Amino acid sequence: MLQLLTQIGVNGVMMGLVYITMALGFTLIFGIMRIVNFAHGEFYMLGAVALMFFYAHFGLDYFVAVFLAAACVAVFGMLVERVLLRQFVGRELNGMIMTLAIAITIKAAVAIVLGPQEVSIPRPVTGVITLGGILVPNDRLLVGGVAVVVLSGFYLFLRFAPAGLAMRAVAQDWEAAALQGIRPQRVYLWSFGIGCMLAGLAGALMAPIYTIGPYIGTVPMLKAFIVVILGGLGSLPGAVVGGLLLGLVEAGFATFINTTVATMISFGLVVAILLVRPAGLMGNAR
Amino acid sequence: MKTWRYLLWIALAIALIGWPFVLGNKFVTHIGTLICMFTLMALSMNLLLRIGQLSLAQGAIMGLGAYGSALAMMSFGFPFWAGFLLSGVVGGLVSLLIGPVVLKLRGVYFVLLTFAFGEIVILSFTEWVDVFGGVNGIFGVPRASFFGHVIRDRNVYYLMALAMAAGGYFLLRAIYRSEFGAIMDTLHDHEELARSLGVDAMAYRLAVFSLSGTIAGFAGGFYASYFTFVTPMAFDFSNAVNLVVINVLGGISSPMGIVLGALILVPLPELLRDAVEYQVLLYGLVLIIFLKFMPEGIVGLIHKLRGKSDD
Repeated sequence: MLQLLTQIGVNGVMMGLVYITMALGFTLIFGIMRIVNFAHGEFYMLGAVALMFFYAHFGLDYFVAVFLAAACVAVFGMLVERVLLRQFVGRELNGMIMTLAIAITIKAAVAIVLGPQEVSIPRPVTGVITLGGILVPNDRLLVGGVAVVVLSGFYLFLRFAPAGLAMRAVAQDWEAAALQGIRPQRVYLWSFGIGCMLAGLAGALMAPIYTIGPYIGTVPMLKAFIVVILGGLGSLPGAVVGGLLLGLVEAGFATFINTTVATMISFGLVVAILLVRPAGLMGNAR
Repeated sequence: MKTWRYLLWIALAIALIGWPFVLGNKFVTHIGTLICMFTLMALSMNLLLRIGQLSLAQGAIMGLGAYGSALAMMSFGFPFWAGFLLSGVVGGLVSLLIGPVVLKLRGVYFVLLTFAFGEIVILSFTEWVDVFGGVNGIFGVPRASFFGHVIRDRNVYYLMALAMAAGGYFLLRAIYRSEFGAIMDTLHDHEELARSLGVDAMAYRLAVFSLSGTIAGFAGGFYASYFTFVTPMAFDFSNAVNLVVINVLGGISSPMGIVLGALILVPLPELLRDAVEYQVLLYGLVLIIFLKFMPEGIVGLIHKLRGKSDD
C-alpha cells in the first residue's frame, strides 16, 4: 500500500510539474496585465508544433529543439501582445474576448496549415528506471527535470534580476512602479513573452509523450485554469501549490476510480473554491 | 413620417414571413431558421453583456433546455407543447437556482465560474450514458406537433423560429427602453450609485440572469425538436464563443445589432461547410478586427456614419 501511495505521489508530482509550468505563465500574465489569456493552450500547442519541426523534421538535438521552440513561442507571444493586446491591458472583459479571438484564430490557422490529424514524433529517451520498487518512465523524468530547472531559474529571475523585480513591482501597483521609472509597457511585453514561453516550453516537453495536432492545447488550458483558480489568480506561489495539488489529486483518483471522475472532481473543486474563496488558496483578495 | 415607418415595418414583416414560401428553397429556409435561432441565443447573451457579465455557460443552459424537453417527451410521454414549455422552465429554473451563488462573483471570476459550470454540465451529458446517451447524445426526438398534427414542413419551423426571435427582439427592446433597462445600464458600471438610490442590485441581476436562462432554454427546446437529435458537442464552450462573436460584430448596445450580427455570421458555416477551419479562422479574424478597430460593432459604425452626415 505504501509503495502504491509513493508511486501515485511520484506520478502526481511529475504531472504537477507540467501543470505548474503551464499555470505559472497564465497567472503571471493575469497578475501583471489583468488579462485572462484564453489563448494559453494555443501557445502550448505552438510549442509542440515548433518542436516537431526542429526535432523531428530538421533533426536538431532534443535540448536545442526545446530551447528554440520555447524561444519562437516567446517571440510570437511578444508580437501578439504588442499588436493586439496592448490596448486591452486592465480591461478585463474585452481583453478576455480578444484572447478568445486569438485562440480560435491560431487554432484554425494551424489546422489549415497542418491538417486536423494528430501525429506522434519519436521519443528522445525511452525506458523506465526503478527506484526501490517505484517505476519512473525516463521521458517523464526528463520532462520533470527540465521543468524543475526552468522553474528554479524563473524563481531566481523574479527574485533577483532587475527585470524580474520590475515585473513584480508592476504586478503590485503599476502606477507606483511607473513613478519609480519603470516603463509598464515594456514590462507587459516581457511578461507576456515569458508567460507564452513557459506555455510553449510545456508543449515542447510534452510533445514526444503525447501526440501533436491543432487541438491539443485545450486540455492543458483547462488544467491551467483549474490550477490558477485553486492557487489564486495572479499568485505565483499559488500556481505551484495548485499544480502539485491537481497532479496528486488526479493521480490518486485516476488510480482508484477513473480519469473522468478525477476531471469532474477537479471542476467541482474549482466551483467550490471560487464560491468560498474566490482569491484561491494562496491569493490575496484585491 | 410615422406612417412611413409603420408601412416599412409591415412590409418588413410580410417579407420576413413570406420569403420562404416564395423562394421554396429548403436549404435557404434552413439557414433562415438557424439565423433566427442564433439571434434568440445571442439576445439571451446580450442581456448578460448589458450588465457587464459574460457567461460561458450559455450553451450549457441551452443544452439543459434541449435535453430536458427531449427526455420529457421521450421518457415521460410529454406532448410537444409541454416539452417545449419545460425547456424554458428548465433554463430559467437552473439560472434562478445557480444565480444567487454565481452572481456574487464579477468580471473574470464570473467568467471562469460559468466556464467551469458549463464544462461540468457537458461532462455530465457525455459521461452519464444511461440518461443522456453519452457522446452520441439522444436521437429520435419527436418533431414539433400542434393538436396532434406533426409538423414536417420546414417553412413552419422557420415561422416558429422567426416568432421566437421576434418575440425576444421586441421583449429586449421594450426592456431596454423601460426603467428596468435604465437600471440594468447602471449595474454595468455604476452599481454603487444604483444601490445608493435603493435599487436591490442583486435582485435585478438575478432577474436578468433568469430571463436570459429562460430564453436560452427555449432556444434549446426548439433545437431538439427541429434537429430531432441532441449531442453534447452542440452545447459546449464554442457555442458561447459564437454568441460572443455575434454580439461583438453587431454591437452590444442595441438588439438590432444582434440581428445584423447573426444575419452576417450564421450563414457562413453553412456556406463553408467543407472547410470548417476556414470558417473558424474567419470568425476569429472578424472578432479581432472588430475588437481592435470597431469595438462598438456594426451598430456603432452606423451611428458614426449617421452622426457625420447629420452635421
